[in-house]
Amino acid sequence: MDAQDIQFDMTRPLPETQPWSVAFWENAKEGKLVVQHCKDCNTNIFYPRKICPECWSKNLDWIEASGKATVYMFSTAYDMVEPRFWEDIPYTIAYVDLEEGIRMMTRIVDCKPEDIKIGMTVEVVFKKLNDDFYLPYFKPVESK
Amino acid sequence: MSHGKIAIIGIGEVPTRIMPERTRWDILYDVCTEAIRDSGLDKNDIEGVINVAPQAQPKLAAELSFGKLPEELGLKGCKDNCTCNAGGASTSNCIRLAEQYITSGLAKAVLIPHVTVHSTVKPEDLISFFAKAGVDMQWEYPFGTTYNILMGMMANRYMHETGAKPEHMASVVTALRSWSSRDPNSFFYNKEVPSPEKVFSSSLLNTPLHKRESNILCDGGSAMVIVSADVAKKMKKPAAYKLGESVRYFSGTPVLRDFHKVAEGLSLTGVEAMKEAGVTKEDIDLWNIYMAYPMNHPIMAEALGIAPIGEGAKYFYDGRMSFGGDIPWSTIGDAPGRGHTGSGVSTAMYVETARQLMGKAGERQVKDCKYVYQNTAGGSGFNNIGTVWGRDL
Ligand SMILES: [Zn+2]
Repeated sequence: MDAQDIQFDMTRPLPETQPWSVAFWENAKEGKLVVQHCKDCNTNIFYPRKICPECWSKNLDWIEASGKATVYMFSTAYDMVEPRFWEDIPYTIAYVDLEEGIRMMTRIVDCKPEDIKIGMTVEVVFKKLNDDFYLPYFKPVESK
Repeated sequence: MSHGKIAIIGIGEVPTRIMPERTRWDILYDVCTEAIRDSGLDKNDIEGVINVAPQAQPKLAAELSFGKLPEELGLKGCKDNCTCNAGGASTSNCIRLAEQYITSGLAKAVLIPHVTVHSTVKPEDLISFFAKAGVDMQWEYPFGTTYNILMGMMANRYMHETGAKPEHMASVVTALRSWSSRDPNSFFYNKEVPSPEKVFSSSLLNTPLHKRESNILCDGGSAMVIVSADVAKKMKKPAAYKLGESVRYFSGTPVLRDFHKVAEGLSLTGVEAMKEAGVTKEDIDLWNIYMAYPMNHPIMAEALGIAPIGEGAKYFYDGRMSFGGDIPWSTIGDAPGRGHTGSGVSTAMYVETARQLMGKAGERQVKDCKYVYQNTAGGSGFNNIGTVWGRDL
């Protein structure tokens, strides 16, 4: 098969939302990182659910996160990612632990990949995908 | 539970290769007839067919789920047919369901087949399938993650905690390939075994994963016949008896899977499966470990108490898990050595477990192999199933 016969999807994938996660993305659009919170059992929840996964309460709300987090683990991609992400290479995917006690997948940006370390402190910065979606990325707190 | 109720009595397999001219049904005919002939049973003795779900092959999945295989093979005694899907843990569930068919009296003998042909799937479909399988479409996929990146993150964390060096991690590939180079059914059969340095010097895909530490998508298939332990005993043929099993669920979404909880789960499933089988880790002759990627093998070696915490990768580097080493380990070379056949690598692992216990593993035969510990896992690692198999009841 010739390479030109291959029809890769080069569009940027958008988060596939659920009715109960829309508020997360609405807040992200305003530059706010929010965490779902159960008012009955006081649990911070990630990712957002229809009911609290701890106590099944529907009494759920949102709290604004400080935006500060710690890198738990990461890997920097140089090759073998989907064609739709080729233009970003190299990029670093990480799990970060928020001060609110939840762990998210994200990208670490605004620094050299070799400067990223497990345990480093990072802060949220939003990356626009389109008018509806801003992804929460993180950058080192020291960087300008 | 599972102690001593069933046995694998027949196995069949075709070489794992990249051979688009070999159709899926071509492979299914070959592996099923070979497994049934190997069992010593008549084709019409097969009363149940439980298919390992083929990933990324929707047309075949529908054909198998809706009962085409017993008809194609003329299995006149077949009473029922279905498909089990739990990704790489599918085969384990097929075997559990076979036990249910057998102990409930539905079937005396059950056929479990698997086939995957990747080479005729459109590249864009394959890339898209493997990019999306097992990751969350809202909270992970939009960031640009991949299986390779997930494995790279785990390896980075492991290296951070243990001080293992990249060449230690790379040596897992050397160990796995030392086995597959001696396995006629492996993609890397008769191929040079790369040194850790050679693995480490291949191009970097994502930190710390190198090209030679990732998998090659291949075509392949295998099948097994399961009967009750009593029937297997009466048949007086070499067989693999299922002696113990334990499982833990971790998470569907990788980011919710805590590194330490997974390590704890890998350990507990081992302890519980061996306890049920009435054996200790000193009794195990072969650790037939399925991790799909090389980089998690050291974590498993430590979780099972085979290597001290923090020294798993060093054990591989020292050649202890390689062909000729003192700890027989993944004797088809897991996915990195065998070639990746979707959920089929775990089917092939069970076939190898049986082959070793039946004494039919040729150059790779583990001497006086009485007990095998084998694990499987599904998706991007949502669970871990540990099983113990024995040459006798
Ligand atoms: Zn709650």
